[in-house]
Amino acid sequence: MGNCCHGRRGQTQIRSPAVNYVQITEEQRLQMLDRIGVDSVDQLYATLPPQCLLGHPLDLPPAQSELQLQNSLHRLGAANRPAGSPDLACFLGAGAYDHFIPATVNSLTAKGEFVTAYTPYQAEASQGALQAFFEFQTQIARLTGLDVANASLYEGATAVAEAVLMAISVSARRHVLVGETLHPHYRQVLESYLSDLPAELVPLAQTGGRIDEQTVRDALDGDTACLVIQSPNVYGQIEDWSALFAAAHKQDRTLTIAVPNPIACALLKRPGDCGADIAAGEGQPLGIPLQYGGPYLGLFAARRHLMRKLPGRLVGQTVDGDGRRGFCLTLQTREQHIRGAKATSNVCTNQGLLALRATVYLSAMGKQGLRDAALQCYHKAHYAASKITALDGYQLAHDGPFFHEFMVDCPVYAQSIIDAGRQRDIAPGIDCAKLGIGNENQLLIAVTEKRTAGQIDQLCALLQETNC
Amino acid sequence: MDSSNRRQHDDDVPLIFERSAPGAKAVDLPELDVPETPLPDAVISDQPLDLPEVGPLDLVRHYTHLAARNFSVDGNFYPLGSCTMKFNPPINEAVASWPAFIDVHPLQPDEDVQGTLALLYELRNWLAEIAGLDEVCLQPCAGAHGEYTALKMIRAYFTDPKAGNAPQRRVVLAPDTAHGTNLASCTMCGANVVTVASKDGLVDLDDLRRLVNDETAAMMITNPNTSGQFDGQIGDIADILHAAGALLYLDGANMNAIVGVSRPGDFGVDIMHYNTHKTFSTPHGCGGPGAGPIAVRQFLRAYLPVPQVEMRGNRSNPVYYLDYDRPQSIGRVRSFFGQFGVLLRCWAYIAACGPDGLRDVAHTAVLNANYLATLMHDRFELPYFDPGQKRFCAHEYVSVPKTLLAQGVTLIDIAKRLIDFGIHPPTMHWPVHDCLMIEPTETESKATLDRFAQVMLTIAEEIRSDANHLRQAPHKAPVARLDEVAAARVPVLTVAPS
Repeated sequence: MGNCCHGRRGQTQIRSPAVNYVQITEEQRLQMLDRIGVDSVDQLYATLPPQCLLGHPLDLPPAQSELQLQNSLHRLGAANRPAGSPDLACFLGAGAYDHFIPATVNSLTAKGEFVTAYTPYQAEASQGALQAFFEFQTQIARLTGLDVANASLYEGATAVAEAVLMAISVSARRHVLVGETLHPHYRQVLESYLSDLPAELVPLAQTGGRIDEQTVRDALDGDTACLVIQSPNVYGQIEDWSALFAAAHKQDRTLTIAVPNPIACALLKRPGDCGADIAAGEGQPLGIPLQYGGPYLGLFAARRHLMRKLPGRLVGQTVDGDGRRGFCLTLQTREQHIRGAKATSNVCTNQGLLALRATVYLSAMGKQGLRDAALQCYHKAHYAASKITALDGYQLAHDGPFFHEFMVDCPVYAQSIIDAGRQRDIAPGIDCAKLGIGNENQLLIAVTEKRTAGQIDQLCALLQETNC
Repeated sequence: MDSSNRRQHDDDVPLIFERSAPGAKAVDLPELDVPETPLPDAVISDQPLDLPEVGPLDLVRHYTHLAARNFSVDGNFYPLGSCTMKFNPPINEAVASWPAFIDVHPLQPDEDVQGTLALLYELRNWLAEIAGLDEVCLQPCAGAHGEYTALKMIRAYFTDPKAGNAPQRRVVLAPDTAHGTNLASCTMCGANVVTVASKDGLVDLDDLRRLVNDETAAMMITNPNTSGQFDGQIGDIADILHAAGALLYLDGANMNAIVGVSRPGDFGVDIMHYNTHKTFSTPHGCGGPGAGPIAVRQFLRAYLPVPQVEMRGNRSNPVYYLDYDRPQSIGRVRSFFGQFGVLLRCWAYIAACGPDGLRDVAHTAVLNANYLATLMHDRFELPYFDPGQKRFCAHEYVSVPKTLLAQGVTLIDIAKRLIDFGIHPPTMHWPVHDCLMIEPTETESKATLDRFAQVMLTIAEEIRSDANHLRQAPHKAPVARLDEVAAARVPVLTVAPS
């Protein structure tokens, strides 16, 4: 390997700039080569044909020291205007919400023992992670009102896609009924996931921002695998899961899939209370920063009889040789590393550290704290909605019950309100036309417990003054 | 039973639910500063929410105790083959928590997130250069999700009448040593998997020639392969597939051995995925998050998922934006854009290493593995390693310790005994039965490697002198050996309601 300058005996060289990460000294390198019985590292690559070798260094910028790295990233960061910053009032939602995150969540989940561990396959060396995931599974099962939950999937949209694949497999049917009030990204991911499979997506039209029971009845047939309903849905409206799922269950074997918001689960009727067989969705509101959409947290819970069909990892309780309680990964014969092409899913790497964040968040907020957060979301969103509808030219796009998000018909382009907000440090909402859920005069506004009455009043002032 | 060897394991850490005391709380919210709105009874839950109630100190102590019961790269040598458990630089954790990055909402207008988009655009181009391929998609959430995305694109290419135009190509070939994810991803994409035999740990070219036909869409291969060898036939494999009109897919799990040394695009690969949590040191986080960017050749670009991060304007005054206008795209594979927090760490790692540093990563990973294999191979059979015959390993190696196992211990006994020495066991029973798969990575010091070899030799000695001690291992873990069979027989996946 002519391009290589490392490891040649007797040749002086300047240490690689990756000195922080590679600890082998030059002297040790020579000792190690000697022990192996070769002259250079090149010889260890002997089985690679010469034409496979790169004849020159990669065309990448030169290495940066830690100080340079901090400076470059500071410059990049300075080119952002983060909506979730305390300097701004953030009314953005649509699947990613600006909630309060207790400092405890950051400090406990930043521990190297968690950050730098692998999947807990070696149970005795991983009791910390396994117990935390067992607590996570319990919390998610309780939050959704279902029996079992897995140890996480990637994020909301792919979690819903996994739920649908599972329903197709369990029911041995092909039709997938999906309310068009489902987040458009989730719908698009479903379209992609189902496109090469013997399955058919059947969209259910909305009526006034919600799915009607009759629409479900009309679409249901003997080949219906599942019904997917998000609530609160992409418009923020609360769907009548109980009625819709009861309608779907008129067909035996049809599975009902609820797509919940986990904070709303602390206040509203939970998926399990409303007849859902599966709950799948986004766990970002549970202590995970906005961070431009990822990494987030796929939640997945189900009724107990579906346990052996679940995608992803499961932690189970067991005992050790002394009869003491312990935890290990279980039902692994569902998974790709054992079952290959017949696995319930291809998922391997999941979102372990984010599941840990959610666990600590739920433990920190606790029974009362989570309900308080949900109540404050509800009251502040309704306060904002009532003030906004009192403004000239503004009205709610839908009249059903909502939780912490609502769509507003504006007298001007949503984009002009967003642009005006930039001057006043307000991110007033999402342009519904851009998201593909409405027209260019519609704004989607989310109000979490973090917003103050003062910020809501500023939002109203912005809307009032952009009313022409 | 050799009771003298039994040790006191730690006290049980109670579950967070068992620490619960009614009324205790760890955080407070400000008082509600707006008037209340009546709750609509019909939609409000009447069930109690059974979450824990704990005070702030108990909360911190609980998860601190759990952390102490976990092996990690920060605390332990972790030679877990095929997982690349390298050092995760603290600087990357620090910058990834900066408010300028974590407070960015995914649906903010592009003009408000120019820093984030610039970073993603730069990373996209860096990963294309490292792959020797034309375009990169950063969206996939993990390696398996990258496989899924790539297979959808291959399908889109063959069903495009103006491109691949061979919709009958539904078969994907994979070696008998392939990662389980390869096979499961094929199933999710509606492809049929056909297994190609191996010969002496490498692809059996005759079997490949026999299996390739006009129904073959692609072959998924890992190189260096899953038994830790460079398959030098890779050029021939690419030629056989391409001559038959099929594509070559690289599972990039083992890129750590070749980054900066050899580029997949230069050895015939058409499409591949990376595992940033392996090659580029983004931390494993007890199982995730990862990221699985994919890199493709020119003729596959049109099928990449939406959105793609693009730049307009010129280099001195660039404007970055998300491009949705890709009519032949396979569509969306996830919500929003991608695992930004992971990709940021990946960017920081590549920026810190630079071109020479990345090559040094691969060289040292290979050096460390070969050094460790050399120290071990007297007592632990290494079927694919023989320095006398100039047969070396890549960044990891397989040991099938038949002689030791013939003395009445199992692989699990060896693995669990390692825990007593503060070393995380290697990967076991993969890619072949009764094997250990050992990957030291480039970030370990010579002293750590020497100690591991010494511990392995000590264990080999113990097998002869005190096999019972091994069979009862671990002795120094928080728990004794766990009954995993019982866990699966009657699964307990949640705490019973209180």
